[in-house]
Amino acid sequence: MNAKTIQLTINGEARSVDVGAGESLLHLLRRIGFTGVKNGCDEGACGACTVILNGRTVNACLTFAFQAAGGRVETIEFLGNFENPHPLQKALADEGAVQCGYCIPGMILSAKALLDRKAAPTDEEWSLHLDGNLCRCTGYEKIQSALRKLVAAQGGDQ
Amino acid sequence: MSVFKDFVLPRSVDEARAALKQLGAEGMPVAGGTALSFLRHKEPKVAVDLSRAGLSGIAAENGGFEIGAMTSITALREFAAPGWVLDRVAHRFVTQQIRNQSTLGGNITRVFAWCDFPVALLALDASITIASDTPRAVDADEFFAGQPVRLLKAGELVRSIHVPAVRAGEGFGYRKHTRVEADFSQATAAARVKVEKGVITGARVALGASIPMPVRLPAVEQALVGRKGAIHVVNEAVALIGTRTWRSVAGFSQDYIRHLASVAVADAITDAWKAAVEGRA
Repeated sequence: MNAKTIQLTINGEARSVDVGAGESLLHLLRRIGFTGVKNGCDEGACGACTVILNGRTVNACLTFAFQAAGGRVETIEFLGNFENPHPLQKALADEGAVQCGYCIPGMILSAKALLDRKAAPTDEEWSLHLDGNLCRCTGYEKIQSALRKLVAAQGGDQ
Repeated sequence: MSVFKDFVLPRSVDEARAALKQLGAEGMPVAGGTALSFLRHKEPKVAVDLSRAGLSGIAAENGGFEIGAMTSITALREFAAPGWVLDRVAHRFVTQQIRNQSTLGGNITRVFAWCDFPVALLALDASITIASDTPRAVDADEFFAGQPVRLLKAGELVRSIHVPAVRAGEGFGYRKHTRVEADFSQATAAARVKVEKGVITGARVALGASIPMPVRLPAVEQALVGRKGAIHVVNEAVALIGTRTWRSVAGFSQDYIRHLASVAVADAITDAWKAAVEGRA
């Protein structure tokens, strides 16, 4: 593997990292410690590896690391942790919308990417923007309910 | 074996073209990159990443829209203007993550059977501009007459796509069938129909996904033109799709895919005809 150095911003921090030409962004992020990015299907079908790249969600498994050169990457580690959860993390936990949890980092990042653009999405917008995140546990109802409650609690009006 | 052994990150179209010219057969332009896992090469290539080359954006001009080749499917979905219809194709395109990453240029330049935009561009009579030492525009019929990359010599790139606006008296229809919502297309169809005083005076109809490469359906088009719009007219025309090499997709029989294709074509034509009559593109 021919490694080359790229610069990028990960969770607000400027980084300089060696990447292989054929290395995926998923592989790179996990290799350097961002294990909140999950490897589910590794073919762009499940959304567990979702990260935000330059303000838009992508499947990190389908993104070559070099495509993120010069870019801004956000992973779940940027949002919060067990002691200080992000409002999205808290909303999902409060609603009991998390079972095995494997899809949740990607799900939350897809929700964040939409909320960053629109304070109070409609149900249709939620469905469209979360259509690339599969959850095999919950059946989605509780996830959608948690998101609706969060927006309502923040004073959003659909 | 990795797809790539190296990469370059050009900052302009000229830089990208120079890199591709220098690399020759070793170079491989990368658009969104989401379909690269479907390609197999004997030797790893050098990726030429086009995402920084200034090729994305949509501008209204010359009675239509000039779309940069690196414009994302999300940007196509979010764009709105009178006569703009590609948002409908974009809306049904895989998932949000892939809409964000995939590009129009990538979807049409290396065509897989299930690519969604070639059928729409065939129906809409788009033309494709190739950046070259001698830049040229290629109409959709010629572009999709074979694998489009056949048209690109070393150092050439798809720069932009011109899509004529759907005008008053015209309508556009697009249908896509998948096993589940985000799955690969099993049958796609697009139609652009012009109606004057209830009579169909122009039709471009294209079929994709159910066959190896997207095609126009001239016999179907001819059977529509000159007829007063009606369901039985649409059905008579669709009966002329003819014998094709139907793909057996996702375990479904060729006969089922043939049926799905005829339903998609009939629905796309009907949508286009009704939109034209009702004056809503």
